[in-house]
Amino acid sequence: MGFRVLVAAAALPFAGPFLYLIIRAAEGDAAWEHALRERTLGPLWRTLILGSSVAVAAAALGTAVAWLVARTDLPGRRIWAVLLALPLVIPSFIGAFALIAAFSRGGLLERVTGIGGLRSVSGFWGAFGVLVLLTYPYVYLPVAARLRALPPSMEESARLLGRGAFGTFRTVVLPQAWTAVLAGALLVFLYTISEFGLVQLLRYDTLTRAIYANRVIDPPVSITMSLILGALAIAVVALERRLARRRPGPPRREGRALVVPLGRWRAGALGLVGGVVGLALVAPVGVLAYWALRGLGEGASRSGALVTNPSELVEPAINTSIASLLAAACAVAVVLPVAYFTARGRGRAGGVANAVVVGGFALPGLVIALALVFWTLGAPEPLASLYQTLPLLVGAYVLHFGALALGTAQVAVAGIPPALEDAARVLGRGRLRRLVQIELPLMAPGLAAGAGLVLLSAMKELPATLLLAPAGFPTLATRIWSSAEDAFWADASLAALALVAVSGVLTWLLLIRRGRAVA
Amino acid sequence: MRTGALPGLLFALVLAGSGFVLAGCGDREALTIYSGRTENLVGPLLEQFAEETGTAIDVRYGDTADLALLLAEEGDRTPADVFFGQSPGAAAFLDKEGLLRSLPQEVLDLVDERFHAADGHWVGVSGRQRVLVYNKDMVAEADLPDSVFDLTAPEYRGRVGLAPSNGSFQDFITAMRSLEGEGRAEAWLRAMADNDSPTYANNNAIVEAVGRGEVPMGLVNHYYNERFLAEDPSLPSRNHTLADGDVGTLVIPSNVSVLEGTDQPEAAEEFVRFLLTEEAQRYFAEETFEYPLVDGVPPVGDLPPLDALRPPDYLPEQLADLEGTARLIAESGLD
Repeated sequence: MGFRVLVAAAALPFAGPFLYLIIRAAEGDAAWEHALRERTLGPLWRTLILGSSVAVAAAALGTAVAWLVARTDLPGRRIWAVLLALPLVIPSFIGAFALIAAFSRGGLLERVTGIGGLRSVSGFWGAFGVLVLLTYPYVYLPVAARLRALPPSMEESARLLGRGAFGTFRTVVLPQAWTAVLAGALLVFLYTISEFGLVQLLRYDTLTRAIYANRVIDPPVSITMSLILGALAIAVVALERRLARRRPGPPRREGRALVVPLGRWRAGALGLVGGVVGLALVAPVGVLAYWALRGLGEGASRSGALVTNPSELVEPAINTSIASLLAAACAVAVVLPVAYFTARGRGRAGGVANAVVVGGFALPGLVIALALVFWTLGAPEPLASLYQTLPLLVGAYVLHFGALALGTAQVAVAGIPPALEDAARVLGRGRLRRLVQIELPLMAPGLAAGAGLVLLSAMKELPATLLLAPAGFPTLATRIWSSAEDAFWADASLAALALVAVSGVLTWLLLIRRGRAVA
Repeated sequence: MRTGALPGLLFALVLAGSGFVLAGCGDREALTIYSGRTENLVGPLLEQFAEETGTAIDVRYGDTADLALLLAEEGDRTPADVFFGQSPGAAAFLDKEGLLRSLPQEVLDLVDERFHAADGHWVGVSGRQRVLVYNKDMVAEADLPDSVFDLTAPEYRGRVGLAPSNGSFQDFITAMRSLEGEGRAEAWLRAMADNDSPTYANNNAIVEAVGRGEVPMGLVNHYYNERFLAEDPSLPSRNHTLADGDVGTLVIPSNVSVLEGTDQPEAAEEFVRFLLTEEAQRYFAEETFEYPLVDGVPPVGDLPPLDALRPPDYLPEQLADLEGTARLIAESGLD
């Protein structure tokens, strides 16, 4: 009974943004009529197309590279493992801008190499390509973690029975990693449908772009469209829950992980991994580095310019680290009860809790922020005084990104062998001691992977940070945004490079170095 | 992280976090400014205000439209005293919500009546002019048009970039509707759409594309190209000011308002006055390449003086009907 209360208390705040939208939609009565006209249906359709195609492509790419670094003798796979995760930290608005500047006509690539650029990077294919490159880590990270936790014995048997590397992958690895692939693809879908900066830049008219376009001009339409987006997200989350039977065999890490020799495929595999890292990380970071170096060479006369005073980045870097580390820790703590509840029982209550937590990832950050303004300022005093303080900002990150921790936490919870629990119970261990002494250590790699995803996403979050952070609390993301807004490209690039560097260091410290959860 | 290090780290974080909370709560007396203009542009000026007047300030920088939405959601519980925005459209939205307070007449009188709201709910601070940015390697100076209405001709097919979802473009269309008539504005938008004018996310994206040669021309605010050239002087992008009196030379004022929910109207008003002092106006001319709106402070660089420019007459109230403009743009087929 107490456990159910705990789960309800953990899941309830996640319903806040959806309730806010329902309340606001009920106030502005005529909006449905407006919103359901073709100007919503077109964007809704495009949202579905873009979301599902990006999810499928990112799932394929993320799974392939995860298998290559986790299971094969790919040269340098330790380093690739870190590099492959990093595109996640590039904020999409600056990443997309850099990729346009790199690859389109007259762009940097053309100027440096003389090879003609793409006619223009825009529309569906532009958005599709850039999104796949920036989102495949949502699949790569959980799948790599899953593969590392899987016992290699079945794969070894398959190999001994004469299956080739790819036959083994298809018949043994994929079925075992399937839930992780599906969970990652769901995150990619939800991220894509909530994304604004990138689709705006690449001019692909999705529902979120319409929500932004109407936000000041016709707020009721914007609210109704947000509600439609939320409903779509919840429907897709429920569908994924049906497809994924999260009952993987207990992960027993017995001995050394299997290493599949790539043989003649080695060059091709290196080409794939190198190409992905090249396009998704080296190209945008290269453009940023070019702009930064150009700016550092030129200098600047205005006060407060980062190019003349890069130490101005220290405070934003510290703020970013504190807020996102807190968000990661809180998100894992909050979703863990929900994960227990939803991974074990498959009842309706579990489905609802799962849907509101995961659905929050699909709402635009602006909507999450406004919902928190509504609930916080409407709350009684001790809560209302949290308005625009660090706890509120961390709360916004947890609501927005809790989904990222929930998926991996569910897999981790499901991976605890029931026999172990029974034994502990027989031996008379209390619930809490069982959790701390037996289950948490077992779940640590999975929980850490989830925390890492929350961390990297919170670090680059922009709209909620701008509205809810304490006054005078610059983060790296807000520095990137304000510099890019004014076309101070050198400053924007320096801040973005700092973000990539800080993310890389934190990922290394929290995920890679310990327990090899990711790598 | 070895066992034991994680709880230690978390404890340190919580300590650091609560330190920030306490720091955040300390300054209830500070004048709170929501600024839709970025810290790069106005940060030094706001600090100067704090220093000179001894007023403590808390500034929240953000996107103008997002901050307007935030203020609407906060209502009378807003911690903000002042709103400093990029676009009269956003000020009009706040005005409709009843969130803005009247400024005294002598403050309004500092600027031309084209640059403040008649009811005194906002006053213009600095002006940004609409221009045609072009790539000098792709367009001969002789071929540059005099009017935005020339751009619908066949020789400009596919050659003029627009940013239909951008606040400044929408302000420009709203002005065109009231100056040239609803029908002419509608026809222009449709003709631009029919002329395959490529669309972009914002002014930055247009100037960047013109610099690369993806599109030869684009309609933008004047100062973006100044920034791009400051970063990379080798770029071939140049600004072209359309003929005197053409709606394409519209000057859009950034604007400041005192909020209805303020608990310190005097300090808020003092801040508004400060932005209109000669010192602050000179800052906008010299540091942000914008037009000073108060008489007697000339613009710098290649900018023609505001008086010589004779931008089309319009009343600021005409910039309020964003909704109608958005509908017109949506129906024209530009996206």
